Amino acid sequence: MSKIEKALNKAKATGGLRVVSPQDRTDPGQQLSTVSAGLVSASEVELRASRSELIARMREIAPLDKGFMAKSRIIHPEMDENGTVRAFREIRTKVVQRSQGRNCIIMVTSVTGEGGSSFVAMNLGAAFAFDAGKTALLMDCNFRNPSLHNLFTTHKNPFYGLTDYLENTNMDISEIIHPVGIERLRVIPSGGRREIPAEYFTSIKMKRLLDSIRERYHERYIILDAPPMTESADTQILAELCDYVLLVVPYGKATETQVTASVKAISEKKLLGVVFNNEPQVPDLGWRDIFRNPFSFISQAISHKNNYKTSRAK
Amino acid sequence: MNMHSEQRRNLLINEAFSRRKQAVAIFVAVNLIALVVGLSWPKGFSASSTILVDDKKIIQPLMQGAAVATEVADRARMAREVIYGRKMLNQVLADVGWLKGKPSPEEQGKIIEKVSKRITITGTGKDIIKIEYRDEDPERAFRTTQRLAELFIAESLGAKAAESQAAFDFIDKQTEEYHEKLTKAEEQLKEFRSANLDARPGSDADISSRLSTLQTKIEQTDQDLKETEVKKTSLEKQLSGEAEVATVLSREGQYRSRIAELQSQLDTLRLSYLETYPDIVRIRHQIDDLKEAIISDRAQRDAAKASGRVTIDENVINNPMYQQLKRDLSQTQITMDTLNARLNEAKRQLQQELERGRRVHGGEATLTELTRDYQVNRDIYQDLLKRRENARVSMHMDTERQGLNFKIQEPATLPLEPIGLRFIHIIIGGLVLGTILPFLLIYLMLQADQKIRIGLVITEKHKIPLLATIPHLWVSSEVAVARREVGWLSLAVSVSLLVTVGVSFLRIMKVF
Repeated sequence: MSKIEKALNKAKATGGLRVVSPQDRTDPGQQLSTVSAGLVSASEVELRASRSELIARMREIAPLDKGFMAKSRIIHPEMDENGTVRAFREIRTKVVQRSQGRNCIIMVTSVTGEGGSSFVAMNLGAAFAFDAGKTALLMDCNFRNPSLHNLFTTHKNPFYGLTDYLENTNMDISEIIHPVGIERLRVIPSGGRREIPAEYFTSIKMKRLLDSIRERYHERYIILDAPPMTESADTQILAELCDYVLLVVPYGKATETQVTASVKAISEKKLLGVVFNNEPQVPDLGWRDIFRNPFSFISQAISHKNNYKTSRAK
Repeated sequence: MNMHSEQRRNLLINEAFSRRKQAVAIFVAVNLIALVVGLSWPKGFSASSTILVDDKKIIQPLMQGAAVATEVADRARMAREVIYGRKMLNQVLADVGWLKGKPSPEEQGKIIEKVSKRITITGTGKDIIKIEYRDEDPERAFRTTQRLAELFIAESLGAKAAESQAAFDFIDKQTEEYHEKLTKAEEQLKEFRSANLDARPGSDADISSRLSTLQTKIEQTDQDLKETEVKKTSLEKQLSGEAEVATVLSREGQYRSRIAELQSQLDTLRLSYLETYPDIVRIRHQIDDLKEAIISDRAQRDAAKASGRVTIDENVINNPMYQQLKRDLSQTQITMDTLNARLNEAKRQLQQELERGRRVHGGEATLTELTRDYQVNRDIYQDLLKRRENARVSMHMDTERQGLNFKIQEPATLPLEPIGLRFIHIIIGGLVLGTILPFLLIYLMLQADQKIRIGLVITEKHKIPLLATIPHLWVSSEVAVARREVGWLSLAVSVSLLVTVGVSFLRIMKVF
């Protein structure tokens, strides 16, 4: 956690900071412009600080429950020693390096179905959002098999998504961007589930949407959760609209020929790299306890079963 | 590559963990199967006997060349041929008691097949044959092995003795045949010799040398004869010119020489003295007297001649020269006669020799042939005689067991401990197999499955940067389930191990 991040958090806690809704763009925008105009010769740190301030004013809803996050397999900074978190941080660093610090649109797609592209996209977004100076926007483009809407636990009202926006000309962008309870992370769900022809992606509206989102925050990284390469032709069209493509290769599910085919379908310039996902790992089951008392596990197992039975009986 | 192998190991462990239920199931199943198999596995007892084939005794170098020891190149193979023979197996079966139940021929065949399958014959080293036999019954294993070794030795020695006997018999027969041939040849030769006495080897040369001697002799005699003839002619010539007697001439000669002497004295005196000198006169008178004596002597001789009788004057002697010549001539005549006789004799002999030579040439060809036959037969016969003696010694060596010999180096003993796969081996094998098999199956599955399981492979194949390898994110509920599962699985493994160890212990303590 950077010093700025800490300072911001402290400021927020003391009430010295005002949380502003993203819709009041003109105000902070002007502020930013004046700040940037006034600090032409200001150092990068100062610029970043000002931007962070802007980001920090983003309106947030109540943070997600840690248990729910763990259940939904979403990483959070507290899982510091976890290999998964380390891996996502690594990806984030590499993306930033590649984009030379500018915000960009990254499409995450899997080689095969069930490849975990949604998982990667979600957590990559979460990883970007770790940094108080950055914000991330997740966009669910997998209409056939959407998954990002699962994040919305607190929303009681029906919410709009990408399909609604593309179909409805009167809709404002702000109506489809939703906070999910993770700081600095915004999500555009897929919307009403339906068959969306590829033409939607080629439409000017889609392009304009992406451009405007990109322009909104300079520190915002847009991440598209696209359907698997081998299953949908939409993905390739979508690839044209974004800056970079991240290919997810699921462990033990994809053959080399599938990888070759996917790689060929993506232009070399855009292909950021490959993420090898879901490599099995022996979890820490508290092996030390096993060595100390080999029967503890057995007794645990038995007691659990008894508990289960009694609870069932009740 | 190292990194790859490490990755592969991790991969194997991770895959094994994710298939923990199956792995443990396999472990438990293999263990239990091993336990059941181990309990029902029949015990096997094995008895073995080692036979030393001893052919390097002192007798061998001593009898080098004189006797031929029976050589066996591959002793184990020989042993196999002997032992697996129906005759021997039948004998063994009868002796050991397989045939007590009086089995039918088919059953017997089956028993023989079974028994011969259990016999192992190995040639350890050059001279050692190991006969091994295994059976469920230790007593029977022992007795069968013992009997096999004994019978094998007896059979081999018998066969060997028979072989050398046969060899001897054959050579003996051959020797007899050649003896007969030789005798015949000798007989023929003798007959021919007695018919042609001259005909003996070398008589040709003898004749030719004799011929040349005779030739030389004839020539020499001829030469001598001619010389003698010349001598004779010369002698005759000389003899004709020589007087038979030399007397007359000698008295007259005396007178004349006296006259000449006196005349010379007279001449000398005349030079100094006158005719009247007394000495001269006296000498003249003397000369005259002498002349008169000559005349009277001559007259007397003529008268004697006319009367036809020889008057031997005491002064008359035979001519020695004449005598000598006459003797020489006579001698020469004798020599000539001798030479003539010798020449004739030599010529006769020459003729005889020539005739003999002609005779000899005819017989010599026959003689050479007969002699050659005789010699060849004699050589072979002698050789065979020697061989027969060798064969006899070989035969004796075999009958007295001095040559190639068989000795039971290590007699069969009653096996006390079962051999081969035993209960404990099977149990340990089951434990090991149960541990290895799941990993092996996973490894094979990973080899067969073409799906990508190592992230670096993509980088290597496609030259695309691998941004990160995301490990499976364990959710706490998943961890809890896994913990419980591991608990159950370790319980299963523990129970399985406990059962195995318990049964093994009881088995080793011979409870059952």
